[in-house]
Amino acid sequence: MKGLELIGLEIAVIAAGIAILLLDLWTAKEDKRRLGYAAALLVGVIFLASFAMLFEGRQEAFHGMYVLDEFALFFKRFFLIAALLVLLISVEFADRFESGVAEYYAITLFALAGMMFAASANDFTLLFVSIELVAVCFYVLVSFQRQRDRSLEAGVKYLITGALSGGFLVYGIALIYGTAGTLNFRELASLGPEVLESRLLLLGLLFVFVGLGFKIAVVPFQIWVPDVYQGAPVPTTAFLAAGSKGAGVVLLARLLYTGLRPIADRWGPVLVMLAMLTILYGGLCAIPQRNFRRLMGYSSIVNAGFILLALAAGTADGLAATLFYLAAYLYGVMGAFVVLCLARCPGQEDETCVLAGLHHRSPLLAATLTLAMVSLAGIPPAAGFFGKFQVFKAVIGQGAAFPYPAWALGVAVFGAVVSLYFYLNVVRTVFWSSTSESVAPIRISHATRWAVYLVIFAILWLGILPGAILNLAEYAVHSMGL
Amino acid sequence: MQVLPWLILLLPLFAAVGIALGALPAHRRGVAARLSVGAAGLAFLLSVLLWSSGTQGEQGFLWLAAGALKVEFGWRLDALSVPMLLVVTGVGGLIQVYSLGYMRGDKGFGRYFAGLSLFTFAMEGIVLSTNLVQMFVFWELVGVSSYLLIGFWRERPAAADACKKAFLTNRVGDFGFFLGILLVWSLLGTVNFTEMSAVLQRQPEALGGLATLAGLLVFCGAVGKSAQFPLHVWLPDAMEGPTPVSALIHAATMVAAGVYMLCRVFFLLDVPGSVALEVIAWTGIFTALLAGVIAVQQDDIKRILAYSTLSQLGFMVLGVGLAGGSHDPAPAMFHLTTHAAFKALLFLGAGAVIHALHHQEQNIWKMGGLASKMPVTFVTFGLATLALCGFPPFSGAYSKDAILLPAYEQGRYGLLVLALTGGFLTALYMFRLVFVAFLGPAKSQAMDQAAEVRGVMKWPLILLAVPTVLAGGWGIEGVYRRAFGAAEPVEAVSWFGQIIAPLTHAPMVALLAFVAAAGGAFVAYRLYWDALTDPLPDKLGTPAEWARRRFGFDELYARIIAGTQDALAGLAAAVDRWVLAGAVVRGGHGLVELAGRVLRLVQTGNLQGYVTFFVAGTVLLLLFVLTR
Repeated sequence: MKGLELIGLEIAVIAAGIAILLLDLWTAKEDKRRLGYAAALLVGVIFLASFAMLFEGRQEAFHGMYVLDEFALFFKRFFLIAALLVLLISVEFADRFESGVAEYYAITLFALAGMMFAASANDFTLLFVSIELVAVCFYVLVSFQRQRDRSLEAGVKYLITGALSGGFLVYGIALIYGTAGTLNFRELASLGPEVLESRLLLLGLLFVFVGLGFKIAVVPFQIWVPDVYQGAPVPTTAFLAAGSKGAGVVLLARLLYTGLRPIADRWGPVLVMLAMLTILYGGLCAIPQRNFRRLMGYSSIVNAGFILLALAAGTADGLAATLFYLAAYLYGVMGAFVVLCLARCPGQEDETCVLAGLHHRSPLLAATLTLAMVSLAGIPPAAGFFGKFQVFKAVIGQGAAFPYPAWALGVAVFGAVVSLYFYLNVVRTVFWSSTSESVAPIRISHATRWAVYLVIFAILWLGILPGAILNLAEYAVHSMGL
Repeated sequence: MQVLPWLILLLPLFAAVGIALGALPAHRRGVAARLSVGAAGLAFLLSVLLWSSGTQGEQGFLWLAAGALKVEFGWRLDALSVPMLLVVTGVGGLIQVYSLGYMRGDKGFGRYFAGLSLFTFAMEGIVLSTNLVQMFVFWELVGVSSYLLIGFWRERPAAADACKKAFLTNRVGDFGFFLGILLVWSLLGTVNFTEMSAVLQRQPEALGGLATLAGLLVFCGAVGKSAQFPLHVWLPDAMEGPTPVSALIHAATMVAAGVYMLCRVFFLLDVPGSVALEVIAWTGIFTALLAGVIAVQQDDIKRILAYSTLSQLGFMVLGVGLAGGSHDPAPAMFHLTTHAAFKALLFLGAGAVIHALHHQEQNIWKMGGLASKMPVTFVTFGLATLALCGFPPFSGAYSKDAILLPAYEQGRYGLLVLALTGGFLTALYMFRLVFVAFLGPAKSQAMDQAAEVRGVMKWPLILLAVPTVLAGGWGIEGVYRRAFGAAEPVEAVSWFGQIIAPLTHAPMVALLAFVAAAGGAFVAYRLYWDALTDPLPDKLGTPAEWARRRFGFDELYARIIAGTQDALAGLAAAVDRWVLAGAVVRGGHGLVELAGRVLRLVQTGNLQGYVTFFVAGTVLLLLFVLTR
């Protein structure tokens, strides 16, 4: 069947997931957690293979439903790296699962496959299928610690709100098909403004946006984030924050920048409004927050706001900024969660001991967490600084053409300042809080140590020499025809 | 030859860096000494080579370009900088040799020599500068290195206070200097000495109505570095540093920098419509008299010399101020040069006395009878005293006459009389010092143990005595005069011819100066010969007491500064506490925190509530988009 060679990476990921499930049958119980290394290794190989595959320009398959271009590849690699780090974190976390360790790895891989399909979705059908594949996997992953009430509670909340957003999504798609007569993004763009401006179609598009906004954690669809981030197993939270959000972003970006390009002046102001609300909500709520995981939830909301702001620019610069911002955000998040996973404190729910006195227990992890916070806060020379810089540049570069430019910039600056406060508060707790806990040093396995090094290296590399990734992002944006 | 100035400039820097990196510990003191003294000696030899080769000119590379401002980093060799280089490296080198003995056994030996080398580097930088900005950079470096050296014995509170005081007082002057540089640059469009001079030659009115202001602002720098009234207060305290450092600061470097700078930018001061020179002249003579009066009533041997330096610097500044028209400031440079030799000698002699007394005693009223115990020190110190007081044929007489001469020729008899009074005071306090400390009866037990210094401390004294005695006949003034456009002397004048020149040229001035000095010496003889205590306070009463208390300048400044600073600090603290911390930070933080706490109420954890929020949000979004 034509097109199978194009979805080779996805097939490989699914095959890897099945292989893990099969290997599980012949693996002794005490060795099962090591299957995560196998999964990570396979993901790493697939990541390298993504460079080995040569593509001549943009290619479509399955009647234009699936598209493979540099933009899709950028996101596929993004998801692969995210999954690789998540799998390595999972191995550290695995002893906290009562059973089904191999299933956890496999489902993570299936979610990854869903994200990778999302990166190539050029059609509402594939959009829905891929997003549901991701969602269904995450329903399981969130409530994987079945013995923990909080994990189950988070799973239920995620399931209900997710199902609600999925309902909006599929209803929206039906409305769109009913008015436009097509599900393909490209064909949608060629319909002309009078069809695109019709209220029924706008209603359908808004419902689709509800489904995607839920993934990205945009106000007013962010409500689930803090509870789920707090309750879910740490690797799941990391994957939610990076991968699931990324899937929402790539779908939204492709929909807006191909299908809805003709009515950019319609969606621009809406996005800016929501971006401002998102930044304000996340930033303000984070200020009094003392629980680190909930804090990361609010941080995820603030960052969603910045991403939306960059997307709202509607220009190649804005899209490139989005891509770079996501890449920088990925390493910040991973840096935070790898520390959260390693610096465990058994029997304590509030996890204050994760941070307090961390620099006594592991200077490496304290440094990693500090760097991650510095990056998320947007302080040079970390990656996050350049990400924020790109967003600001995209907004300013638009000038008066940007919707509410002064307000948007003001809120963005406010959000940046506020996040400085709560991120650096974490750093203060790590280094300067009085701790009466035992200061047992933290042991870090070799694989995780390398993951930590990778995160540190990436944060500094993206911050000091952003040129390479920026070129890649611009190249990817270029492949979208911008 | 082009590489020589670079070498001379950079050798002390290399020594300083080398010592700082590798020879600070006490057991590497030999390395430190060799590096520092070697660099200084080599720099002196190269300077002599440069002098004998007669190289002149300018070289540099563009160091800083910001818009219209172009700043070079380079060197400039002319009749002003080359002899000055000889003074700096020569006197400085001898002081370094002397330090080998004086600082032996000090635990900060390496640090001391690193500081000396840095100081030498900075001073050479000032001398060789091609432009005002480069000069300012080295100007500040001199400030920093003087800070390090004055506060060398950092464990002593007095030294710590003194170095702080020196640095801060200098900063006040430097601030004015910097404003002056900015003003001159904005008016003339360049900071290069040659180019500035050329611009002023083409259009003497280029500075316009701001000529006086520009001149005085630049003079501010000299007021700070050369310790003129009202910024003179740091110099007497600077003797808290090791005595060789005092010799260095008071003789060949630092204080000389101000006078050198004034001569370097003399073309800026001597422009039509500017009264800067008038102000400079009066500042100089006022400082000279003030310091002279104070010196008469000081008891600390180094403090007397410190006020004497102030007084002599006043004469040099007067020399600059009296120039203009047909006169040039060469006499000021002449006096600077001779003073560098005999003042270094005086300080090293005082250091020898202090060293002989095991660093215990500096009060001259506890000394006495040192002449027989320390003959070499006494003889050299005595020669330097004669030179300082201006007795022919010693060097000081000629340079001081050269300064007085323009006042006489211009008919400014007021200044002349005041300057002669200064000469009288000079002789008075110097002979008081010599009579009390070296001659006369021993006034404490400690004198019994005093013994002549030896070796590395003795030879610098003897070597410095040579220019102290002879430099009057070396034609130094003629050399400097060439820097201000004078022609080469047609016929060489013999040493003896130079020595008797004042008598043939202007016998009146020479005679008056001699009478003033002799009068001072005579009064000192009547008052202090064989005296056990100072008779002056009883005879004069209140004025002597004022002089003893240095006219209360330190207390006055302390009060003014403390008052202003307390008021400003109080204001700043109030603004910080109430406006910034209170309203802006606390208020802003409170508002944000409150908003956060209110918003968090949304996050109830109740699923029904979440779904309601979700749907309500969706409805609002639909309304927002579809009703537009």
